[in-house]
Amino acid sequence: MDTGEIKREILVDERLYSRQAVKLAANIYADEMKITLSRSGRFLRIRVSGENESKMGEFLNEALNQQCRLDLHGKNGKVAQIIVTKALLSAMGENVKERLV
Amino acid sequence: MAPGAKGKNSRAYLLNWRKVSGKRLITNDFGYFRFLSEKEFTRLMSGTSNLRPALHQDLSKKGFVRNWMDFDSLSETWRLKNAFLHFGPGLHIFVITLRCNYNCLYCQSGALPERVHKTDMSFETARRAVDIAFQSPAPSITIEFQGGEPLLNWKTLKKTIEYARKKEVSENKELSLALVTNFSLMDAEKAEFLLANEVSLCTSLDGPRKVHDRNRPYSKGSSYDLAVKWIKYFMRRHDTQKGGSRIFKPSALLTVTRFVLRYPEETVDEYVKLGLEDIFVRPMSPIGYAARVWDKIGYNSREFLSFYGKVLEYILKLNEKGVRIREKNASLLLEKILNRRDPGYLDLRYPCGAAVGQIAYNWDGGLYTCDEGRMIAQQGDDVFRIGTVHDEYESIVKSGACRLCALSSNLEQQPVCFRCAYKPYCGVCPVYNHEAQKSVWGNMLSNERCAIFMGIFDLIFKFLQDKKKERILKKWIPEK
Repeated sequence: MDTGEIKREILVDERLYSRQAVKLAANIYADEMKITLSRSGRFLRIRVSGENESKMGEFLNEALNQQCRLDLHGKNGKVAQIIVTKALLSAMGENVKERLV
Repeated sequence: MAPGAKGKNSRAYLLNWRKVSGKRLITNDFGYFRFLSEKEFTRLMSGTSNLRPALHQDLSKKGFVRNWMDFDSLSETWRLKNAFLHFGPGLHIFVITLRCNYNCLYCQSGALPERVHKTDMSFETARRAVDIAFQSPAPSITIEFQGGEPLLNWKTLKKTIEYARKKEVSENKELSLALVTNFSLMDAEKAEFLLANEVSLCTSLDGPRKVHDRNRPYSKGSSYDLAVKWIKYFMRRHDTQKGGSRIFKPSALLTVTRFVLRYPEETVDEYVKLGLEDIFVRPMSPIGYAARVWDKIGYNSREFLSFYGKVLEYILKLNEKGVRIREKNASLLLEKILNRRDPGYLDLRYPCGAAVGQIAYNWDGGLYTCDEGRMIAQQGDDVFRIGTVHDEYESIVKSGACRLCALSSNLEQQPVCFRCAYKPYCGVCPVYNHEAQKSVWGNMLSNERCAIFMGIFDLIFKFLQDKKKERILKKWIPEK
């Protein structure tokens, strides 16, 4: 029976796309397609099946977006953390700041 | 030290750039910008020794040259630009009721029919909400009442205003009160009470009568007539005030639906006619109920920007003739760009205002990062809930949703934003991203909100290259 489902298998180099980035992207698209991951040497084997082929392209774009974000975190994580911590502590008020100091 | 002494070894310091109308716009985290020719840009990027002395000096002063950083001055500039990082939530949005007597086409707030009384905020809930608002470490706070149509729950609204004003005295904290209303239930008695309590009033005005009435159907008459009648009334009261309580000018918000796009000049004329000096051309977001009807009333970024450009051009023409009117998006951004100051625009900053800059209090006592977060909850998704009015203030700010928004809206960790020339002035919205792209982080390369703000920034920086337009735009913001 033809279910109209499209299946694709993609191999990506784990030096470019980390497993974490692909998982994060998969989590976003989990409602729209079935995604399974497995290892194959230094490659990640991604099996996707769904009804919308363009969504598969979007999923890969999202994996790239997540990888860039993770890379940026490695570079800027400390600065980013300082800014966020400052905003949160200020919102909590002086009492909290004093207690933490 | 004169330029040149260290010039040979100097390099450009962290900067972002973008081509705008044939020039290279460079910006940095301190909020400074400069337009460069291609030749100047190439010279700067390959070392600063070949730059004209005057240009070298200007770039050094603005923190663009690595060996010429005046750290004291630059860090002070950064601190002022990001002043919001030092305070807590200043804006407290009270959804006094979800009921509404209008049937607006897009209603993003998820209003319910007039008869559904169960969604009115009780005074007990409102009192606890005021108590939480006053626990914010912000030296001054604003409580904004909205709905639904808040005047439908007048009893709670009135008592809450009285309570908040008393609390202002006992807590010694500056308090501003604002009411967003469609004016349909306004009468002389309510007006006097609101004016006596220095409540600023804001309504919706979506342009000419035919557009406004189409956007905001009202079974008992013209919503446009009611808005105009009361804008005039409060404008007259403002203009003729003599001491006593301060009476603020009424203001209006424009909700740009697809129907408004056809009337850029007529929409501005409506505002001018009523003596309103600001028109806030805000794009609608496909959030909450609006997402469901987006194919009927929505538009893409290109369509919105075409409208926005026409509005801005027309306003500048009117300004040339001496007519006082400003576009609010542009004036807020100009304050950031030209004065390097935080205008308190919660949507465009990082981290965004979610819970660290504002809190939305739902009628049932549920607390959310912002009003948009509350609207999503109404559709069944509680991801932006930060607690209830019965919780301790500290636990609200410590909530997972608050931290999630602060982290995900930090442009230092957004791949595209990090390299964007508009980063010093911009911000992302985790709620929009969650709704439109299914992740609070979003993906800016295909993000329509990002495309809209990029377009607005492009237009502003294009105008800032035109001396005549620049002169007018500078008048829109306080002189530094």
